[in-house]
Amino acid sequence: MITNRLSRWTPLFFLLALVNFVGAQALVLAGVTWPATSLGAAGTLIAIHLLVIGWLLLLVLGALFQFVPVITTLPLGSQAAALVCLVAVEGGLLGMLAGFLGVAGVAPRLAWLLPAGGGVVTTGISIAIWNLGVPLARARPRSLPGRMVTTGLAFLVATVTLGLLFGSVLAAPAAMPGLAPILGGVGEHALAGLGGWFTLTAMGVSYKLLPMFMLAPEDRGALGRWVHVVGATGFTLAVLAGLAAIWLPIAVIVDLRRAGDLAIGLAVALYLWDVRRIYRDRKRVSIELHNGVAIGAFAFLGVAVALAAIAAAVHRLDAVAPSLVFLIVFGWLGGLGIAQLYKIVPFLAWLVRYGGRLGRGPVPRVQDLVRDGAALPWFIAYQVGVSCAAIAAVMHRPVAFRIAMTPVAIATIGLAVEYWRAWHATYAGTAPNAPPAAAAGPVTKHPSLLINRGDRP
Amino acid sequence: MEPLTLDLREDLRRGGEPLPRILQAVDQLAPEQGLRLLTTFEPLPLYAVLGRKGFGHEAIRHGEGDWEIRFRPGAAPAPAKPAAPRGAPAAPSDGWPAPSVFLDNRGLQPPEPMVRILDAFEHLDAGAVLEAVNERDPVFLYPELQARGAAIHTEKVQDGVRLLIRRGG
Repeated sequence: MITNRLSRWTPLFFLLALVNFVGAQALVLAGVTWPATSLGAAGTLIAIHLLVIGWLLLLVLGALFQFVPVITTLPLGSQAAALVCLVAVEGGLLGMLAGFLGVAGVAPRLAWLLPAGGGVVTTGISIAIWNLGVPLARARPRSLPGRMVTTGLAFLVATVTLGLLFGSVLAAPAAMPGLAPILGGVGEHALAGLGGWFTLTAMGVSYKLLPMFMLAPEDRGALGRWVHVVGATGFTLAVLAGLAAIWLPIAVIVDLRRAGDLAIGLAVALYLWDVRRIYRDRKRVSIELHNGVAIGAFAFLGVAVALAAIAAAVHRLDAVAPSLVFLIVFGWLGGLGIAQLYKIVPFLAWLVRYGGRLGRGPVPRVQDLVRDGAALPWFIAYQVGVSCAAIAAVMHRPVAFRIAMTPVAIATIGLAVEYWRAWHATYAGTAPNAPPAAAAGPVTKHPSLLINRGDRP
Repeated sequence: MEPLTLDLREDLRRGGEPLPRILQAVDQLAPEQGLRLLTTFEPLPLYAVLGRKGFGHEAIRHGEGDWEIRFRPGAAPAPAKPAAPRGAPAAPSDGWPAPSVFLDNRGLQPPEPMVRILDAFEHLDAGAVLEAVNERDPVFLYPELQARGAAIHTEKVQDGVRLLIRRGG
């Protein structure tokens, strides 16, 4: 018998992730990070790693610990391992942040903390990969979301390996002089992390969550398989050829890198087309707020890829790279993250609070744990702010960028409060007494013939 | 003898309730005459209903939302156990009584299927069996059912998961 329990530590992952997100935004508002400063500045390195490790990694790992068992219908390797992973990633991250101050010369004695903290983060990530790998490896048949998450985890390994190399070279440049040129591969590190790992994983999870809550066909057919294969091939080519070109910048390798970039663009286009199909083919007429807001995140992904394509065509990719990173981190991944949290948090809270009472008396519905009217202004402020900030970043207007980021930071805190209220069922007490769901009227198109109690023999 | 054909597709798309028409048609069948239903989905629980009247069945999926179900008389009435798919191995649920409650949870948003099943489960008599068809494996439901002393049998069917849930005595 399959027994899947709730991922015990996922709420704590989400809480810490949001704290890190707010912390990173405070640095952005203070003007000590990109795009106001260079990508290599200490403030930028601190903010970027707070965002990608502190916010996105913890968010995605917390979500995967909950949803890989749903995707595979198999339990995790261990619930306790998730907590060890959380402590290692957050603790190691704090070490890394101190280490960045060290390598930037602000506090040189702390430089050793960069590789040390990176090593602790790596330990945490290794535990996570094992914990998720147990159900993913055993799952039969392997579903598209499961395969995409597996590919994403492979890119996570590549990202971490590159990051560790960078950290070692930065902390002790004299120790490995032959490796020093690898620092030119920061773009590939970012591509493996933001693209191969986060984007492919987010695509895979969205292939499960979007159809589930919009009642659309879950089998994505050939198009879904192409998204996966073309995307994985594209990111692999781009990262490997990009790194190879550092040492061997010959035409064929540069061409391979371009082919990889093209494949990435194609995969994103196919994915966005398929997401459009999911929305169009949904059986549920009304779109819930979290999936409505997610449309904005998909638009940011499309805009980012279009911007990259245009910049590449006019040979200005390096100039727009900081804006691209911003669009992907805040618009696409962050936007999708805050939108899906708005469903995941009340769903988990509802299961924890009311699962044992189901069928034994009236309980609130999942949607009674949130109040769309309170969350919607925050979502709008976030997306409008990110849009304006992206424009300011492309136009190299640091002050305008920080002004545009102010509503984003306020909205993030506002949404965090809404998640907190959902988790504590603050609104449930004030909701109209919901009837038992079985009497709530059929959402189904199927007739009551198949819902009614059958004729007792 | 030619089977009687009942095209329910229009009626189903309009949200109609076809059970009375089906039962009326069954009553009108000549001995040895079969019934051919054209529907928009596979009506799994109907198999058990008509199975108890001695009908065997064969389901053909012509396309998305286009099913043909052929019911043939002469199959041994099987009230003692639920209709298992042809060729299925003996299940642990073989000795169970026929389901007394049917829930079709396809087309429902999570967690609605779980809410429905637990609501129906709490109204079951001890030892009685509930049959449900879900689009997805309801992974959050299992621990809840086990905590309530239920025995569960699941099997994959063409467009989802079929669950047999027996309330502990």
